[in-house]
Amino acid sequence: MSSGAPPLGVIASLYRHRGLVAMLVVRDLKARYRGTFFGYLWSLFNPLLLLAVYAAVFTWVIPARATSDVPYPIFLFAGLLPWLFGSGALLDSAIVLADNGPLLKKVVCPPEVFPAVTVLSHLVHHVLALPVLLAATAVAAGMGLMRFPWTVVLAPFALVLWVVAVSGLALAVAALAVHFRDLKDLLHNLLNLVFFATPIIYTLDRIPVRLLRRLIQANPVTPLIEVYRDVVLLGVLPSLLMWAWAAAVALVCWLAGVWVFSRLRETIAETV
Amino acid sequence: MSERPAVRLTAVSKRYPMHTPRGRLHSLKGALLHGELWRARQVGEGFLALDGVDLEIGRGETFAVIGPNGSGKSTLLKLVAGILRPTAGSVEIDGRVTALIELGAGFHPEISGRDNAIINGMMLGLSRAEVLRRLPEIVEFSGIGPFLDQPVKTYSSGMYVRLGFSVAVAVEPDVLVVDEILAVGDEAFAHRCLDRIARLQRRGTAILLVSHDLGLVEQLAQRALYLRGGTPVMTAPAGVAVARYRSDVAGEEAGAGAPAGSARRWGNGAVSLDAVDLVDGAGRSLRMLSSGESAAIRIAYTVRVPQEDFVFGVAINREDGGPVLGTNTELDGWTAERLAGSGEIALEFPRLELAPGRYLVDAAVHAKGGLAYDYACEALAFTVTAPVGWPGSYAPRHRWTPRGPAMSPPPG
Repeated sequence: MSSGAPPLGVIASLYRHRGLVAMLVVRDLKARYRGTFFGYLWSLFNPLLLLAVYAAVFTWVIPARATSDVPYPIFLFAGLLPWLFGSGALLDSAIVLADNGPLLKKVVCPPEVFPAVTVLSHLVHHVLALPVLLAATAVAAGMGLMRFPWTVVLAPFALVLWVVAVSGLALAVAALAVHFRDLKDLLHNLLNLVFFATPIIYTLDRIPVRLLRRLIQANPVTPLIEVYRDVVLLGVLPSLLMWAWAAAVALVCWLAGVWVFSRLRETIAETV
Repeated sequence: MSERPAVRLTAVSKRYPMHTPRGRLHSLKGALLHGELWRARQVGEGFLALDGVDLEIGRGETFAVIGPNGSGKSTLLKLVAGILRPTAGSVEIDGRVTALIELGAGFHPEISGRDNAIINGMMLGLSRAEVLRRLPEIVEFSGIGPFLDQPVKTYSSGMYVRLGFSVAVAVEPDVLVVDEILAVGDEAFAHRCLDRIARLQRRGTAILLVSHDLGLVEQLAQRALYLRGGTPVMTAPAGVAVARYRSDVAGEEAGAGAPAGSARRWGNGAVSLDAVDLVDGAGRSLRMLSSGESAAIRIAYTVRVPQEDFVFGVAINREDGGPVLGTNTELDGWTAERLAGSGEIALEFPRLELAPGRYLVDAAVHAKGGLAYDYACEALAFTVTAPVGWPGSYAPRHRWTPRGPAMSPPPG
């Protein structure tokens, strides 16, 4: 007897159902702001308000500086955006199959579609927030607070790596959460830990203890976030080694996620 | 029939794992590390919901699954729909399957009926363009017209179900799996559903139907599988399977427990049918007759426990299971008074106008409520011959009268 679908089957199925995935992403976006007065503008307002709060707090309440050449609120914002995209997608993945239980049990529907939709709809929100970051950067550059990072043209590459890693993890989380309901709560705390173990609210060179710095450098999420922020905000061209490392992490996450999912795929409809 | 069946189940069993947190963790570990999820479960943990089911459904055939609650009907349906995988055995489906298990399952309350219809259609296997092409038909059939662009949370439950049904049948599946859906909606919509199902039947869609409405099963299905406790009791023409099920239920209600019996013959034995014969006018036994001859079906019986509530019934079926005639003494207006000793009863046909072919006869004696004293399937087989090989099963005397076309009559 088979012990699960072949991993390639999961990928092929996602490709075959790309039309459905696209429709479901649109459905998610439509449903999310349905009935609100500002509608899609919230995708813009949310990051804008977040930035405003950070700017206010870290300019007047606790004046903080992360690096010498970038205002701290923008620095924090540039790290938080990809993190919120990733952690939001993973947290939703942990419940997406349970939420769509009726579809899995009553309609014939491929389960891999749902984590993919979750990641993509979070990605859409993320991409909609990027102009806010760019505008803030441009304004700060115009005020002479920093140089405008022309490396931003490389942002799509950094983003692709991050999306690949998040998608793989989302597949694994979705399938595992069906069998292991505790995962949702576990994940919440785990993400909290990883958040502080990744240079998002600080930079690596500000860590006083050498050993701790090494540890945080070894955190696999670190290269992905660093590469992203380097090109989007800091105007630093990451080294080839850095790119390779980030790419390797992304690939391993993706492969592991697809493997876990394909192993558990056949049991999802009857367990969920 | 030479073509492949639309659905073929071979020795299918389904075992559900018991849902305990530890069991889940254990199976998760097994699946990830050793890929042993299925093997481990086959050894015998969990609940065996379906055991050793063989089934073939041809194109254009409507097949029903009947049985008491918890007999594995829905599990069987989900296996055919591809929602579940069998623990053992194989499920082969030829073509596109659509499941009407819960209408409107997975509609998103916040988005419009139109978007939900499109997404539902795509889940059922259509492309976006195909759904859009069929959308006018879906809207027309569901009758939700002006509400199409309202979020479905504002729909009444009837509208919800109508939209779900409309989308599912618009897919024009090769295999349609239906679970009790016709119980919903008002009378008018139920009729339209039946019309639509009849259209699919003519198109060649194989339909697998689960219903507790036994009248509907007899009306729609040609054959039926009677399940009890996950095990098949019999696969037979729908009328026969329904009669068996009714008899079992009546027996249980009378406190006798489920009557024993084979798939061909069952009953509580209060009366037994000794012989079922086809005889000609002179009382001679026949195996072959020509269409339109007179004949009678003669049933000889012996009574062990005298009865005051009894009905004799006869059904004639084509060899492929298609019903031709079914009648009984109750339908024909006879009132039962007393049945004791032994005797004979005959159902006489002055002209048995059947099309040529082989026919099988079921005979039964049962209580009015359906409890079988003795029910014998295929108690008799006979062959009808005719000079012309008319298709179908009814061949009455007939004559052409051309009032215009210039034609010469057949010789003789």
